[in-house]
Amino acid sequence: MAAGLVLFSAAAAAAHGIGYRHSEKKPVSLEFSYSTGEAMSYLDTRVYSPKDEKFAFQSGRTDEAGRFAFTPDVSGLWRVVVRDEEGHMAEASVNVTEDFLKGDGNFLPEIVHGDHIEGAELALRAVLGVSLLFNLAAGVVLRRNKVKK
Amino acid sequence: MHISEGVLSPQMLAAGWAIAGAGTVVGLKKLDPDKIVRVAFFSSVFFLASLVNVPVGPSSTHLSLIAPMGLILGWSVFPAVLTALALQAILLRFGGFLALGANTVSIALPGLIVYLLFAAGVRRCAGSAAAVRSFAAGFAGVILSAAGVGVFLWLSNPAFTNAAKFIFVAHLPLALIEGSLTLFMTGFLKKTAPDILSGADRHSGE
Repeated sequence: MAAGLVLFSAAAAAAHGIGYRHSEKKPVSLEFSYSTGEAMSYLDTRVYSPKDEKFAFQSGRTDEAGRFAFTPDVSGLWRVVVRDEEGHMAEASVNVTEDFLKGDGNFLPEIVHGDHIEGAELALRAVLGVSLLFNLAAGVVLRRNKVKK
Repeated sequence: MHISEGVLSPQMLAAGWAIAGAGTVVGLKKLDPDKIVRVAFFSSVFFLASLVNVPVGPSSTHLSLIAPMGLILGWSVFPAVLTALALQAILLRFGGFLALGANTVSIALPGLIVYLLFAAGVRRCAGSAAAVRSFAAGFAGVILSAAGVGVFLWLSNPAFTNAAKFIFVAHLPLALIEGSLTLFMTGFLKKTAPDILSGADRHSGE
């Protein structure tokens, strides 16, 4: 009886054997950072496949340098969304081509659009925001003066 | 301290909008028309403050200026914050429109509470008594805001309890920074332009 149990356990262990090998599929690796240049480290990251926009194909966290890698299995537009605890969100759309999937090293996936605003564009948007706020106030004051007259 | 889109439950999003809407209506009704430009100025300062990163240990955060906004604007903190957050969502992609109500509440309501609890004391007291009240106002503004975010998350989904606790603890250093900043700001304004600390509401401070 005991010998039977040992044999059964060994068979079960063999059935759950594990292994690993180098994947031949090419990964897409992205690096996320704040406008200040600081890496978006250890943040919640979700990857959405072109086949399913609703449920994440892969989820995890960026590494210390703000990097995240995934291995696409179909061509099309892949979305990678990184969020921090304060509500900041970075979203990158990556165009994965058939050539890239075939493993041709000459074809890198193109980042179609990233929601990362920095440098001159960030400054321009900040100035635009301040300008809009003062224009709004000026509009209210002008309207109020008109009503008074 | 923005809550991301897609995190809060529909009930919490609706509650956020209801409170933010009510606060904004009251804030606009109470707003002294002669102080509209002042509200726009501090709304702009709040809008820009999110771009100023403050190093905290190995990470960093950005200033919220909740107490200075509350002490200077009074009830008008609601329309000021709502407008600035809407522009942050459009132009800087911080937060989002569905969560705009909850985000407005989590910043403007602590600002208003700070105003109601500390503004009169900060105006009337001098020396160390005013300094202690100013620091407490700055500290309380951030702590109340972190608690507000935590409550929104927890009521949306009890699974966010740990995230809510983390947010609360992570904001303690910012609370100390903003306490100090509020202390210096009120000290400076009391000497140079004490009128600014009387709020932007009609008849406030009189």
